Amino acid sequence: MELLAPAGNLEMVKAAVDSGANSIYVGPRGWSRRRDAYELSDEAVREAIVIAHDGGAKLRIAVNTNMQSREVPPLLEKMQTYVAWGVDGAIMTDLGAIAHVHRRFPDLVIHASIGANILNNEDVKFYRSLGVTQVVADTKLTLRELASRKSDIDVGIEILIHANKCYTYLGKCWMSPYHRLERGVDPFGKDLFKGSPNRGGLDHRVCLEAWELYNGTDLLEKRVELKNDAFFLLDDIPKLIDLGVHCLKVQGREYPVPLVGKIVKFYRELIDAYLAHPKEESFDLTEWQAQLMAIQSPRDAARTRTTLALLAEARQPVVSSAAPL
Amino acid sequence: MVRAGAGCTPVDVDGGGAMKSFELNTTISNRRNLLESDLSPFDAVYLGNIYCRLYEQNFLERLDDLREGIARVKEAGLKAYVTTYAAPRNNFLPKIRKALEVAASVPADAVEVHNLGVLRMAHEEFPGLKVHIGGFANVYTDAGAQVLKEYGAQRVTPNYELSLEEIDELARAVDVPAEILVHGKMPLGISDYCFLLDYEEKWGIKCPTLCQLDLFVKKDGWAMRSAGKGIMSGKDVCMLEHLPALLRSGHWAFRIEAAYETPAYRQQIGQVYREALERAMADDSYAAEERWWEVVRAHAQIGLCNGFYFGKTGMEYLGVQSGALASFTGRPTAVD
Repeated sequence: MELLAPAGNLEMVKAAVDSGANSIYVGPRGWSRRRDAYELSDEAVREAIVIAHDGGAKLRIAVNTNMQSREVPPLLEKMQTYVAWGVDGAIMTDLGAIAHVHRRFPDLVIHASIGANILNNEDVKFYRSLGVTQVVADTKLTLRELASRKSDIDVGIEILIHANKCYTYLGKCWMSPYHRLERGVDPFGKDLFKGSPNRGGLDHRVCLEAWELYNGTDLLEKRVELKNDAFFLLDDIPKLIDLGVHCLKVQGREYPVPLVGKIVKFYRELIDAYLAHPKEESFDLTEWQAQLMAIQSPRDAARTRTTLALLAEARQPVVSSAAPL
Repeated sequence: MVRAGAGCTPVDVDGGGAMKSFELNTTISNRRNLLESDLSPFDAVYLGNIYCRLYEQNFLERLDDLREGIARVKEAGLKAYVTTYAAPRNNFLPKIRKALEVAASVPADAVEVHNLGVLRMAHEEFPGLKVHIGGFANVYTDAGAQVLKEYGAQRVTPNYELSLEEIDELARAVDVPAEILVHGKMPLGISDYCFLLDYEEKWGIKCPTLCQLDLFVKKDGWAMRSAGKGIMSGKDVCMLEHLPALLRSGHWAFRIEAAYETPAYRQQIGQVYREALERAMADDSYAAEERWWEVVRAHAQIGLCNGFYFGKTGMEYLGVQSGALASFTGRPTAVD
């Protein structure tokens, strides 16, 4: 059982390793599903690999944007560098990029990202044929669907245990760039597509706006919710371990380092306690629920602050939206 | 009623002939809508609603209707395509398999798939069936389109986030036709959760007619069209000004997205685009006519946009008409 933790900076890599993560994922600047502030330069990626390996953990590289066609060759060059530095796996979304990376680095473990939005067993088989060996399960899937996947296909299953559960299926939503998209190339030639989570990593979370609902021009409801909640899994963790899922993944590169450290430590201890308890005895989650409540409150406060800032940013005019070519 | 389509348009969907001109197609969710629609502006129709299994009499759930619908569309001289669900879970697959069987047996002229698992099913179990890739399949790169071509894809709607420049490059690099949404509400997302169901009692309107209200979520100048599980652009994507550029780039498959629109919308907007495309093909000095704009304006409640085709925020409109058409408020006057 792999506990996979996020890192939006080197300090977080260290904190996650020290808190008991089996593996860490980081995103190179411009190439993963978070804004660039929570991504790493290549030099920092190299250091992250060293920190992870020194702590006995693996380092996964998240290159899970839907890039442009012209960005696939530079991605392969970057992957060449990361593989040479000893990266342990890649988290990817674009099916063409996956096919190329697998052909070039056949031994590299490729995780199909949440952004690939793999929803059914036939989907899994498709990605498996491209060389994917681990698949992140959509947050809307049921335990029954996961059990079917586990029994039907030789593939590693990754479950998000701390993440956002969107109104839409993740990876099948472009509400955010419909409202604001800012193009801009970084000094290394990567278009950041700010406003498009699928392409660049900054999601304005417009679903969380205080929407009114109209029938034509008639106001029907003053407030409707396109629900998007952050969640912690707890009750399902023992069931998921029993089911034989391969990886439990914590999201949250944008959260404060101490908070991520606490979340990782909580899940490390929970997993270890469950694995150590006698199988014939029931596992009491009461104590764990109390601990989780203490983490949830600062997490919710941090998330609310971030959401309000993202929505405010979405209302700002795009200063330079010319396609940078 | 279904009326004969514009079969005179020389279209070679298979890509093997020299008569290639253009194909104008649209979407129809159920039998009632098919019977009420005048399809004369169109060359092809996608049958089925991709968002919800509970959509009223969805072709994809009523296989006798689907069989009849394919036959009616073909009898009218149009190509009949069968679309499939945008986000199918395991429990959707048996019904999708049956819809593919119907499509293969009648036969339909192609199926549209938005899910790579369904593509795999079609490729392995129905090898004679032509496959178009839909906009929810997330084709962003030429490398991705190449993979799908190897799985039998004969046409690709790239993800709506791509610019025309990216689409042109992709289509050229992989030598696969790209289908372009030229008018209508651009899909923005798909959910498994219909928030409208929370209001059935309060409004006294039940599923499956609930999502057929004229629903928009709005806030401080923002607007999106809601269909419960499906969410679309509030503004209508409009490429009327830019048709010559699309044709010059070699595109020929054009879609009027009308899954949640009225038969009048489908017919009137379709007629505008048929005339406009024919004009653009014949006349180098093409300019959109004011009477076309009047129709377009009348049907766009929130305004017009160009989606992501010019590499900008999706709800922006670019072009000489931008000042007049980018946004307007209130219910426009109906067009006869």
